[in-house]
Amino acid sequence: MKARVTTGIQFLRRMSAGGKTGAFILLAFVFVAAAASIISLHPHRQISGPPLSPPGPSHWLGTDDLGVDLWAQICHGARVSLIIGLGTALLAGLGGALAGILAGYAGGLTDAVLMRLIDIMIVLPDLPVMIVLAAFFGPSLMTIVIVLSLFSWVHTARIVRSRVLSLKQRRYIHAAETFGAGMVYLMHRHFLPEIFPLAAVSMIRLTGRAIVAEAGLSFLGLGDPTSRSWGLIIHHATNFQGIYYTDFWTWWLLYPWLALTLIVTALALVGRDLEKMADPRMMRGHGKPI
Amino acid sequence: MTQTLKSKKAVEYLLTVWVIITLNFLLPRLMPGDPFLFISGAEGEDIARFSEAQRAYYIDQYDFDSPLPVQYGQYIAALAGGDLGYSIYYNEPVAPLLLRRLPWTLLLVCSTVGLSTLFGTLLGGLSARYQGKWIDRLLFIGLIVVSEIPAFLLGLVLLFVFAAGMQLFPLSGAMTHFAAHESAWRIFCDIVLHATLPIATLTLVRTGGIYLLARNSIITVMARDYLRTARAKGLGRLRIFWRHALRNAMLPIVTRVFLSLGTLVGGAILVENVFNYPGLGRLMREAVMVHDYPLIQGIFLLVTLTVLSANFLADLIYKRLDPRIDTGAAFPAVREAG
Amino acid sequence: MNEKNQFTMLKLENLNVTYNTRPAVRALQDVDLALAPKDTLGIIGESGCGKTTLALSIMGLIRNADISGRITFRKQVLTDMRESTLRRIRWRKIAMAFQNSLEVLNPVIRLGEQIAEPMYAHFKLSAREADQRVAELLELTGLEASWRHCYPHQLSGGMRQKALVAMALSCDPEVLIVDEPFSSLDAESRHAMVHLFQELQERMGFAMILISHSLPAIQQLTSRMITLYSGSVIEAGRTADMLRNPLHPYSRGLINAAPEFFQYKDLWGIAGEPPVAGSIDGCPFYPRCVQRDGPCKASRPRLQHVGIERMVACHKGGIETVLTARGVIKTFKLENQTITALDGVDILIRRGEVVSLVGASGSGKSTLAHILVNVLASDTGEVQFAGRRVTGHEATARMGGMQIVFQDPSEAVSPRLKVLDAVREPLDIMGWADRPDRDRKAVNALSAVHLPATPDFLHRSCHALSGGQRQRLAVARAMATDPALLIADEITAMLDPSTQATLLRELKGLQHTRGFSMLFITHDMHLARKVADRVYVLDHGAIVEHGAAFDVFDHPRSRHTHRLLDAAFDHDRSIARATDRNISGWEKS
Repeated sequence: MKARVTTGIQFLRRMSAGGKTGAFILLAFVFVAAAASIISLHPHRQISGPPLSPPGPSHWLGTDDLGVDLWAQICHGARVSLIIGLGTALLAGLGGALAGILAGYAGGLTDAVLMRLIDIMIVLPDLPVMIVLAAFFGPSLMTIVIVLSLFSWVHTARIVRSRVLSLKQRRYIHAAETFGAGMVYLMHRHFLPEIFPLAAVSMIRLTGRAIVAEAGLSFLGLGDPTSRSWGLIIHHATNFQGIYYTDFWTWWLLYPWLALTLIVTALALVGRDLEKMADPRMMRGHGKPI
Repeated sequence: MTQTLKSKKAVEYLLTVWVIITLNFLLPRLMPGDPFLFISGAEGEDIARFSEAQRAYYIDQYDFDSPLPVQYGQYIAALAGGDLGYSIYYNEPVAPLLLRRLPWTLLLVCSTVGLSTLFGTLLGGLSARYQGKWIDRLLFIGLIVVSEIPAFLLGLVLLFVFAAGMQLFPLSGAMTHFAAHESAWRIFCDIVLHATLPIATLTLVRTGGIYLLARNSIITVMARDYLRTARAKGLGRLRIFWRHALRNAMLPIVTRVFLSLGTLVGGAILVENVFNYPGLGRLMREAVMVHDYPLIQGIFLLVTLTVLSANFLADLIYKRLDPRIDTGAAFPAVREAG
Repeated sequence: MNEKNQFTMLKLENLNVTYNTRPAVRALQDVDLALAPKDTLGIIGESGCGKTTLALSIMGLIRNADISGRITFRKQVLTDMRESTLRRIRWRKIAMAFQNSLEVLNPVIRLGEQIAEPMYAHFKLSAREADQRVAELLELTGLEASWRHCYPHQLSGGMRQKALVAMALSCDPEVLIVDEPFSSLDAESRHAMVHLFQELQERMGFAMILISHSLPAIQQLTSRMITLYSGSVIEAGRTADMLRNPLHPYSRGLINAAPEFFQYKDLWGIAGEPPVAGSIDGCPFYPRCVQRDGPCKASRPRLQHVGIERMVACHKGGIETVLTARGVIKTFKLENQTITALDGVDILIRRGEVVSLVGASGSGKSTLAHILVNVLASDTGEVQFAGRRVTGHEATARMGGMQIVFQDPSEAVSPRLKVLDAVREPLDIMGWADRPDRDRKAVNALSAVHLPATPDFLHRSCHALSGGQRQRLAVARAMATDPALLIADEITAMLDPSTQATLLRELKGLQHTRGFSMLFITHDMHLARKVADRVYVLDHGAIVEHGAAFDVFDHPRSRHTHRLLDAAFDHDRSIARATDRNISGWEKS
């Protein structure tokens, strides 16, 4: 565990400027989400001012059509995005990684079954299915996380499985097996250290996709109506009659849009950086953990 | 070997189709609680209350009283006959309704595929040719940044800047309502005007991925020995690029185009809603808003099966394009270009 | 380099190619080459020496590199040409059959189309004419015409190679460059391919440049050859001469390592690795050369004539001669008989080579050995060591000189001396350095022959040693003086096969790493065949035959050599056969 932390720090240091920027932005969002109540002057669910007022000293980002402070909504919306993102990433990422390891190492029937499942799920277009499921099962954060996870685990599983398969072929694994190594040892000593960076990259990707998916669903009106997610704000804004003929959108629409774009871009930057670093060619040069 | 592989793929395809159909069948029957008392509570929404007539109709439609296998049989029979149910909200059978809206979505999707592939490949080729120079770096960063932005967010930007702000484009619809056009040309222009922003959105988002793939693919191919052989033979530059380089470099691109149709469809659904474009995506949202279950199921079936078929087609086409494939390895060229 | 009256068709002058990688790689340095019509030129060298770069430069296909110098084809300067003009010459006049890999041919285009492509580019043909010509070309190279409808991956390696040759000849070029055509072929296919090239060259009359590792192929197909090392031409000459008598240590090393020529000799490569091209200021072969000297490190040697039609790039003008003996005559007077032990013997030993002196017992071998080290005086004749006439013991009483190891191990070393003293003896006598240094050198020499260096062993008396150990000690004693020439006079005749094998292996290993020359005197033809680079055959005091080992053992010219070889090989073979019969007969009953 300690070694993993050190590698983590090594990673951070080796990031490019873009990656560092992305990481910084992400951390900023995490802070905002955590401290949302503290850093907002006004509550996020109650009317605290005149509706549709532009940004000003009392309402930093203005108010929406009901008069609820926009800044507060956005801060609390960060929580939603992060919960969805991280929740899906963990569920799908870890689940997918485990499935991939299982399929790759066990082989045989387990692998065949899992592969069929993956093949079938991977060709399904995710958004239509998510819309339909959301329509039938009702929108709630829980449902969304579960639905998103159900769709995303296949990607991680596939990548992990193919890496495990190629690892299985390596001579040094054969050598360890002749020395009497069991699956637990191999997992701990050889597989997990190689899989970990792959899974990490995959999870960052998943976070981004989950956040975007939730925003999309909320924008369509299929999200959790109580959640105050950014997508939902945009949904209300675009449904407002006359939004196109006035300039209310310059804050009501712009700021949630900006928040979404920033977090997605930050995740993309970090993700690409991690991808480059997790490249096995680079791993070989720098010390392996443990 | 090819025969068994083809049939294996066909079996897989049919299996997936069956899964979709069955899922479609099961969904309304799996919903928690009484499906017909469900009411969406978002503010400002149309709340569909089901009248007794509607409720009676639905119960009759779905035939919840019969045992499950019987319902399933009826469902399959209806599907085979092209009957996708009846939409309460629009007051017409689902199938013709879908067929009316389908062309608009097709317009968006096909144009996007064509334009993004074209631009992506051209720009990728440009980048590959001038690899490392400023133009390569510029294109690379620019396209990557744009492709990371989700489609509907980008669409919103375009809508507000070009349509609402600069008023260059219409705000919604596929054609100007109630307009009488003098000629086919005018109709055509009108359609193009309305379709520009949605297509632009989708194209911008997709081009990045294609560009990256094309760039890598072309760079990989340019380094191959057979390109050197072609130059040694004294062939003209155009022939070398077209017949030797591109022919090989296109393989992973073609595959990717087909495989990413699912994502494209998802993007199209969202974009249609941003621009109020009357395609299947908008229809789907409307259907969900009013809980028009047969319609939802109909759209779901159509969209999903189309994407599935496209993937299956991709497999077949790839085998024709790459004569090296006669073993089970799928899409080696995709892995090659990375 | 070719006859002056022949028209030079393709000429490379001062060609330098440096790749723009970081760090820059100097792939070719000051290469000069000339090719006449119908000429055949072979190029040999290790991987990475620049052979392919040379071929690609002629074709004008080098990218991302600085090229200086001139390549001229029939008065047209190729290096000055624009790409568009060059394109018209490529394939039409100068064509290349690339090294066969799976990716040399485009995998998604049919073979026929790829072969026809250059024809369309250079000639005006109809589709039918092109197709016919493609079919003809394929049949010319021994493939069926129906293969033109197939894809490259459907052909086997050997067939692809033929297709590449067919494609190269499609526009009837004047120069054909062939890059390693035999590398993935088995022996039979290789034979066939060699014959094919011979036929094609006769039939179509092109000049050919053959790049290959396969020395037998070079021998059969080319009239001239050059050796490339680290981007420079280090030797050039007529193929037959060069293979028999290489003058550059590197060429010699390559040829010595070819199992096709030396079929029985153990495989020894050239110690060390070639340097990164262009990284050494002096002679690029310096680190691996057995005859290197101070001036060799300072500057790069230029290619110079050292004989008729032979050029070598070496500060010393090629491999130096270590020992020459000329007109040595020795007679013994016994009562009223005069026995002529040696009747006018000439011997020449070069740096770093193993020469075997063979002959029946009593043919005069040991006499010659003793004369060479001046243990015995000759009647007439001159012996020169390192260019200086040997009169006294100057050649042997020095470091880096000549040493001899005698046949009888029991007499080789004094039984009273301790091991360390015995090995150190020559150094003591010469008064070399001081005592601790001499001890150290002696211990090193003992380690070199894999004798223990423990204090216990060092202080053991020599009479306690076995025959094999004593012989090795004698070798160690000789090695302590870092000799340039080691004369081994029947040193294993009195040892059992195992000890003999061990001793010879160690000796050969030492010879390989330290690079001294060896005169291996033996009556055992099997042994000689196993170690010799060159052979002298002595019969009744006269040298009846000498030459490269592969020539003497495989194609002996003298009757006497024939007899010796028959006696040794056939005789032993027939004994072996009889033994087999005995054994099988015994087993039956």
